[in-house]
Parts: sequence; structure tokens; C-alpha cells
Amino acid sequence: MTKSKVNILFNMTSFWRILKFSFQDISRNVWLTIATITILVLALFSVNILLTVQVLSQNAVEAVKGKVNLSLYLRPESSEAEILDLKTKLEAMPEVKTVKYISKNQALDSFRERNQNNPEILSALRELGKNPLSPSLVINPKDSDQAPALIEQIKKNNNPIIESRDFTDNALLLEKINQITKKVNEVGLFIIAIFILTSVLVAYNSIKVAIYTHRQEVEIMRLVGASNRFIYQPFLFSAVFYALAATIIGVALFFPFLSLLQPYLEVFFLDYQFNVVHYFVSHFILIFGLQFLAMALINILASSLAIRRYAKV
Amino acid sequence: MINLKHVFKYYNPAVPVLADINLAIEAGEFISLVGQSGAGKTTLVKILTGEERVSSGQIIIGDWDITDISRREVPHLRRQIGVIFQDFKLLPKKTLWENVAFALEVCGQPQDKIDRVVSSVMRIVGLEDKRDRYPNEVSGGEQQRAAIARALIHQPKILLADEPTGNLDSINANEIIELLQRINNFGTTVILVTHNREVVNRLKKRVVTIENGVITSDQKQGKYII
Repeated sequence: MTKSKVNILFNMTSFWRILKFSFQDISRNVWLTIATITILVLALFSVNILLTVQVLSQNAVEAVKGKVNLSLYLRPESSEAEILDLKTKLEAMPEVKTVKYISKNQALDSFRERNQNNPEILSALRELGKNPLSPSLVINPKDSDQAPALIEQIKKNNNPIIESRDFTDNALLLEKINQITKKVNEVGLFIIAIFILTSVLVAYNSIKVAIYTHRQEVEIMRLVGASNRFIYQPFLFSAVFYALAATIIGVALFFPFLSLLQPYLEVFFLDYQFNVVHYFVSHFILIFGLQFLAMALINILASSLAIRRYAKV
Repeated sequence: MINLKHVFKYYNPAVPVLADINLAIEAGEFISLVGQSGAGKTTLVKILTGEERVSSGQIIIGDWDITDISRREVPHLRRQIGVIFQDFKLLPKKTLWENVAFALEVCGQPQDKIDRVVSSVMRIVGLEDKRDRYPNEVSGGEQQRAAIARALIHQPKILLADEPTGNLDSINANEIIELLQRINNFGTTVILVTHNREVVNRLKKRVVTIENGVITSDQKQGKYII
């Protein structure tokens, strides 16, 4: 057998033995394994709950933003062609997301529906004998940040069919929403940063404790001639295993929690399609993959430092 | 086989733990290193296993000058010197068989060789029927026998026994000493560190006495004289 083949065989054998030592250690120190994984699961769970709060707050703001619109009331005598021409021009503006045309008849139907329990208004409407409402165009901005600029542009539009414009309140509302969004993001990121830092410290400490309990074993390993690789690597594999197990258990606990939460959110997000379970499913790899990688890195770092400190490898 | 030349070891610059130790041990010898607690015996063992460095002097084992041995080389040294301790130092979460096999596994030995050699040493120390027990499931004497099996697994030319009978009753202690004598008869150099007067006097082998870090006596067929 050539030297390189012998080396490959040696490395393969060593790799499987290191894996074996790692899993023996995990299975024969069941309580330590359970305690370590439980702490990691709780750390991940708290990060995920905060992430959920952040996602919900952002979507709540988006939901409100989606309801913000600017209305242009048009002269009743405007022809359909003139209105559709103005609608097309508005739709062509880069800041505009959608433009909805509400005809006189649609406005009247909507008015009747809104006041169906108010017989006096309905009776007054009948006495008038004609439709007093104007057609309108409801403009939905692409981004609430661009709404002030959009308002300015619409103000400059001197199309004669425009009777009146209604966006003074919206401008104020949009400003408030943008302020709230900014605050939510700042506060959310700050709290997430604190939570992540706490979780990192908790995970780091639990791994250190796990290694500390093994310090006598490490001493014995060194005495029988184990190389640093044989001492180090089973702990590193265990660290990655803890991260993987914590992520899997974390996911298994987190999705039922989200499913319980979803019905309450449906009431809150009425008219706005948002499903928190779908959100986490569609971002599964990104969210939980990153969490696994981050947790594995923290564990490996904690293991390496703890072995150096307690086992003097 | 082992040569210590003018070895000094200081932890505190004012008080040497070992002072001008000169000791030559021939291959196949059985030597008892005796002295009271704190005399420097264990420090000497640690120096021979590469756990501690000398402050000055020279140590040669076989053809290998280990005076300035690097950390990377220490595992190789420990595979050539078998060591047993008073507290056995077995891995508590491994069976007796796994404890013995571990010393070969960490060297990357093939599994068939490990099975063969471990079976053989377990038979030599009389533990073949307790191979699947964990250390806390057997007696102190059996734990020490497992530790001896582990120390023998690399077929070392030197076996260092640091107070191997310290935690054992007299019957188990005698069994362990008999086992060490048998191992010595196979040609292995045995260095027995002890303060058990009865054991040393019965052996009638070379006795080196250390007091306050200094060799005060070195007798061919000596007795415990402190």
C-alpha cells in the first residue's frame, strides 16, 4: 500500500473514532447533554419569539401603510375617456402603486351600503332624485416615504376634470407612520441585539460548563498519549451536534407555537394577507440555517476556549 | 535506559523541589523510588512523562533526549512509557475494555489489531470476564489492573507506577505488586514510586530514597530506610 493510501486510511479511521468518541460522550452523559441542549433551545426560542415580534410589527406597519391612499375627486360631468386618460397618466408615475377608479354609480352604491342603517340619509338621497356624488380616483403610493413628493406632484396637476384633492390628513398620517416604523425598527433591533447577546453568553457558558465537567477525562486522555486532535475534535463534534439538536428541537417547538398564534393574528390583520407560519416556512433555510450556523460557531468557539482553559490542551 | 543528569526543578526560586538528581536506570530493572510525601517523587514522575519540564539538567530515555521535549512530541513519549496512578485515572464513562482500547485508538491503530492486543492484555491482568463493566462497577484492585492493562497496551519498555497500591487493601496491593513483578520478568523496566514500607522490603530490589528533593540513598537490594 502506498504512503498516501495509508495516510487516507489513517485519517478515515481517526475521523470515525473521533465521531464515535463524540457520540459515546453525548449518549453516556445524558443529563449533561439534555441540560446543555435545553439551554440552547431556550436561547433560540427567545430569539425566535423576538424575531416574530419584529416581523409582526413590520407587517402591521405595512398593513397600515397599504391602507394609506390619496383621493382625487373629479367633476361629475367628466367623460369616461377623460377619467381613464388621467388614470393612465397617474399610473405611469414611478411613485404610484395603483390607481383605482370609483365611478359615480360605484360611489353611490358604496355610500348606500355604508349608510344602510341610516334611513334619514337614504331618504334625503331619494328626495334629491339624482346621484350627487362625484367620481374619484384613489391613488395608492408605492412607498409611504415617497408620498409627500407624490402629493406635491399631484398638486401641480392642473387637469380640468379634477374638482378637489383630499390628502392633507394622509400626509400627517404618513409622517406619523414613518416615524413609528423607524422607532419600531430601532427599538426592535436594539432588543434583538440584547437578546442575541444574552443567548450567546448563555450558550457560551453552558458549553463551558459541559467542558469543565470533562476536565479530568481530558487529563486522562493526555496521559495515555492522545494527541490534541483526539482530545479537541470530539468536543467540537459534540458542540456542532448540540447546535443541530437545539435547532431541530427549537423548530419542532416553535412551529406549533406559531400555529397557536396565527388565529389571533388573522383577526388583527383583517383585510391584510399575512400568515406568520407561511412567513417562517418561506424563510426557513435563511432563519433556521443561520441560527444553526451561528449556534454552531458559538459552541465551537466556547469549546475551544474552554478546552484551552480547563484542559490545557 | 533512563539517565537523569544534574536535574533541578524549581517552582519557587528559593526552594528546589528536585536538587541535582543523578540517576541511571538500566533496561529491565525493577526500582523502587521511596520517600515521604512532598519529597519530590511525583515531580520526578511528571518530568519523566513530559508533564513537567526540568529547570536545569538533562533527561535521556533510550536514545531520546526529552529535556526540551515539545508539546507536540509529548503524546509520542507517553505512548512509550506506561504510567499507572494511585487513583487509577480511568475514564468513568468508558468500559474497562474501552479504557484499554482507547490508548490504541488515539494512535490510529487498526481495529483488528486493537481487538487482538486488548484481549491479550486483559487476559494478562485477569480481567477478560469484566471487560464490559464500567470502572465504578468493579473493585479498586480491578480498576488498577485495568489501568495496568492500559499502560501495557503499547508494550512499553518502561512502566511508571506512581503509588499504585495507595488506594488498595493489602490483598489487592499484593496482587498488583505481583503483577508488576511478572511484567518486569517479561523485560519491562518498572519504576515503582511508593511509601509502602512492607511492599518495598518484600521486593528486595533496588531502592532509591529521595528526601527534600535530594537522593539520599541508592541500594541494589535495598530496604525502606526512612
